[in-house]
Parts: sequence; C-alpha cells; structure tokens
Amino acid sequence: MLRWLARRIIAAALVVFVVTSLVFLVTHVFTDPATVSLPLEATEEHRANRRAVLGLDRPLSVQYWDFVSGLVVGDLGESFWQSQPANKLVLERLPATLKLVAGATAVTVLLAAPMGMLAAWWERRFPDHAVLGFSMASISAPPFWIGYLLIIVFAVQLGWVPTFGSQGFVSLILPSFAIGLASAGRLAQMTRRGIVEELRKPYAVTALSRGFSRSYTIVHHTFRNVASGFVTMTGWELTRMFTGYTVVIEVVFAWPGVGRLAIHAIENRDLILVQAAVVVLATLVVVTNLLVDVARRLIDPRVELG
Amino acid sequence: MTMVENPTGPAAAAGSGDGAPSSEGSTVMADLRSHLRKSKAGIAGIVICSLFALVAIVGPWLPFIKDPAQQSLRDKLTPPVGWGGTWAHPLGTDQLGRDILARLIDGARISLLVSVAAVVIAAVLGTALGLIAGYIGGRLDTLIISAADVQMAFPGVLAGLILVAAFGPSVWLVIIVIAISSWMVFTRVGRGLVFTLKTSLFVEASELAGATSRRIMWRHLLPNLVSSLITLSVLELAAAILSESAFAFLGFGVQPPRSSWGLMIQQGRNYITDGWWIVTFAGMAIAIVVLGVNLLSLWLQSFNDVAEREQIILDRPGG
Repeated sequence: MLRWLARRIIAAALVVFVVTSLVFLVTHVFTDPATVSLPLEATEEHRANRRAVLGLDRPLSVQYWDFVSGLVVGDLGESFWQSQPANKLVLERLPATLKLVAGATAVTVLLAAPMGMLAAWWERRFPDHAVLGFSMASISAPPFWIGYLLIIVFAVQLGWVPTFGSQGFVSLILPSFAIGLASAGRLAQMTRRGIVEELRKPYAVTALSRGFSRSYTIVHHTFRNVASGFVTMTGWELTRMFTGYTVVIEVVFAWPGVGRLAIHAIENRDLILVQAAVVVLATLVVVTNLLVDVARRLIDPRVELG
Repeated sequence: MTMVENPTGPAAAAGSGDGAPSSEGSTVMADLRSHLRKSKAGIAGIVICSLFALVAIVGPWLPFIKDPAQQSLRDKLTPPVGWGGTWAHPLGTDQLGRDILARLIDGARISLLVSVAAVVIAAVLGTALGLIAGYIGGRLDTLIISAADVQMAFPGVLAGLILVAAFGPSVWLVIIVIAISSWMVFTRVGRGLVFTLKTSLFVEASELAGATSRRIMWRHLLPNLVSSLITLSVLELAAAILSESAFAFLGFGVQPPRSSWGLMIQQGRNYITDGWWIVTFAGMAIAIVVLGVNLLSLWLQSFNDVAEREQIILDRPGG
C-alpha cells in the first residue's frame, strides 16, 4: 500500500509539473505578461520597458527556472493589477471556493444516494422514471442558468434567500444547488444502475429469497458494493466542480472565490494572476484525483494496485 | 472484403472495409428504424435535434421573424405573450427592445456551429491518435496515453481561462478549447477498441497479405470504430454545447453585436427582476437542445452494446 501510494504521489506531482509547464509555455513563450498587460496601441519602447521591469527580457530558460523554483516554494509571481503576491490573492479566495464545493458535494451526495436507491427499489416503476427524468433534465440544463432560475424563484419572487454575495450559510444554499443538481443527476443514475446490477447477483438473490425486504437488501447489502464506484464518481464530480462549475457559478452569485478572481484578473489583463489561479485549481484537481484513489482503496480492498 | 465477427451491432455493417454490399447497409437502416419505433426517447431526440438544426440553417429566411439586431427603445423589456405581451414579440424583448425569438434563432447558429466544429475536430484528432496508439503501440502509445491522462487533469475551462487571458476572447479560441478538452475521450475509446480488434482474424489476414499499417488502420480498423465513435460524438456534442454556452456566458466567445445563447444570458442577467424572460428563454433553448442531444445519445447507446457503453454517458470525468 505504501509503495503504491508513493508511486501515485510521484505520478501526481509529475502531472502537476507537466500542466504548469504547459501553462508557462502559453504565458511566456506564445505571449508574455507585459504584452498582455499593455493596450494594443502601446509603443514597442513601452513594451520593452515593461518587460525589463518584470524580468521578461532575460533568457526563457532563466525565466522558466525562476518559475519552477518559485512553484516549489509556493511563489507564483506578483500580480500587477493588485501589486501583491499572486499566491496570497489566490489563497485568500480559496476558502470561499472550497466552501462552495463542499456545499455542492453535500447536495450531490444527499440527493443522489437516496434517489438512486429509490429508483432501483422501484425499478421500471414510477419513481424510477421520475428519477430518470430528473437526471436527464439536470444534466441538460446549463448550471449557470439553473443558478439564475433559482435566483428568480427563491430570491426575487419569494425573497427567501439573499440574491448575491456570501453572507453566511444561507447564501451558500442556492449556489450549492446550482452546482450540485447536475452532479446529483449523473450520480443517481450510476447508483441506480449499480444497485440493479448487484440485485441480480447470487448473494442478493439469496438475501431476498431468505425473506429480507428489498429495501433492507439494497441499503445493507448492495449499496456497500456500489459504494466504491459512488466515491470514485463523487471524486470526478468534484474535479468538474473545481474546474468548470465553480467558475461560472461564482460569477452568477458574485461569490468571492478563485474562479471569479480569475475572471476579474482576465478583465484587468493580469496574466500572472490568471496563471496563479489556474495552477492552483489544476493542482486541486490532481490532489482530488489522488485522494479519490486512496479512498477507493480503503473502501474496497479488491481495487487493483495500479 | 474484411470479415467481421459481430453481426449484431451496426459495427458489423460499417466494418465491411472495401465497399459494403448495399443489402447489408439497408438491413442496418431497417434495424435502426425498427429500433427507433420502439423508443420514444429516440424519436424525441431526433425531432428536437433536427428542429434545432433546421432553425440554425434556415433561420434568417423564416417568415415573420424580425431582425435580431433591430433595437427599439420604446419597446424595451416587453413581456412575452401570456404575461402582458403581444404577438408582435411572442417571447418578449430585451433591454434594447430587440426581439427575443429572433435573437434565439440567430444565436442557435453560432452556438451549434461552434459546438459541432469543436466535436468534429476533437473526433478526427482523437480517433487518429487512438488508432495510432492502439495499433502501432510501443513508445508512441505511452506518449499518447500519458498526454491523454494529463489532459484529464487539466480540463477545458482552465485551459480556456489561460488562453483567453493570453490571447483575448474569440470564437476560434472557444472551438479550440472545447476540442482540446474532448479529444482524449475519442483517443481512449478508439485505442481500447483497436486493442480488441488487433488480434482478430481479419486484421491478421491483411497483415499477412502485406497490407501497410496505414491501410490496415484506415481501411480495416477505422470502419469498425465508426458506430462507437458516432455514439461518442453525439455524447460529446451535448457537453460541447454546454461548454460553449458557459464560455459565451463568461464573455470568452462571440462578441456583441453577434449573439449566442450564452451571451444572451450574460446580457440579460442585470434584468432578472424586470425582464426574467431574457435569461429564462435563452437558457431554455440551451437546455432543450442539450436534452435532445442527450436523448439521441441515450438511444444510440441502447442500440449499440448496452451493457458496455451505457457507462459512458454518465460516468465520464472532466469537462
């Protein structure tokens, strides 16, 4: 297990290294932060000046070495929009994003597990069809649109929750649902399919024929075997959230997270800050994948050492 | 002629390398049709998809449709029919008095064009890499599959953020970003299928007959992948339309005065209190077309090997 873990960690670190190098390629070879920060009509002299200030006139290899050694100690450069270290700005916003992802994950799991079990319990009957309908609808609607619909209904029309911003727990509810519904839709179908498959296996048939109720067998026997798949899927949904949903949903709800910071940085032509946000989010994705693998191993020892 | 072991799926007919006899082709069509008759989801999916495709193509020539760019501040934020509006603007108008229905039809074009283009690029590129990785194997395979793994860890939106920051927003950028966040799906599936086909009799026979690798990949392996890849493309199309709308919403894609569904939501979001219909209808257009594509894909999957491919639709990581 330890050797497996060590290998996985090294592989993950390699992926982070490759991804950040690709980011460097885009931000320093294809273009550079000085060019991006200046308006198009800036003179060449102006640009050269800015390059010198930012140290971009040095050879690329030197810049790359600076970049990589900075990464190792957590230095992601200096944002010239806010004149502060970029990593500080990103890390300040990180808790808000993590809170949002946690809320969305809670919505996902709390909706998906019971819906999947209900659908499997009444396979091919009304609840099954209803859950399928929910799943199809939720994976087809764009999450940011769900966000606006929730705002229109619950904040504007009914006035139950605040429209924007992050004032405590209440304002977390709508964005969490906006992100979590699609994930719940996918996960519910996966759970249902897993349980239905398990119910046809001999151990489940035996349990049923010995008089255990269908609901008892689902909750106590089959769901356990579906659990490892459930965790893996939840992990995948987490990576989707980190990299896609949170960015748009943070914009919709004016949520002060990393995604919205990145969008603001783009608007302010601050390439260094965008780069920092992307590097942090990509690292989160890799770490999430790693944790999912570990969790899967712990839940289900049958999972192969890969 | 190539030999195909699996006579049930459409892969069987598609797999007959050098010119399939027409009878075989028509049984597949008949199969598809009879299968379709039994599937309400399939019918709904096809109807929705063809309707939207038709609207996107003939949109500007439809009768009674207004000019999507024409402003009329006197008519701004007119509600839709049923909420106090008139048939002059069936779905109401936006903050500049432009007709929502006309803008939706105009936006269909760009939204669908971008998504389809992205999926086509991803499918061609991804399949080619999958074929090479699966058939040639060796170091090339290791390289390609590692690239696919890295891509999985670096999903589209992040690539989109960094590219837009570096080069500024454009439609082409959105197409490229969606394509690079989807190619590895085709590579993985294609490679997996090639692995199983590689050892089959017809491939070995053509190898013995001295066919070049390129010919085997192009004439013998590729036709066997077609049905799976079409199913996969439809599935990826649903994801691509959603991504396109998200990028347009963030302002990364088409710029005003052109319109797209995602951009309409971005522009309408400041009016959700006195013009809820802008955001609502634009999002509804996206949701309905994606639902149509998802239904179509569900049906195609049920037609293909159910147990094996049902997994794909809901269980895939990444954007």
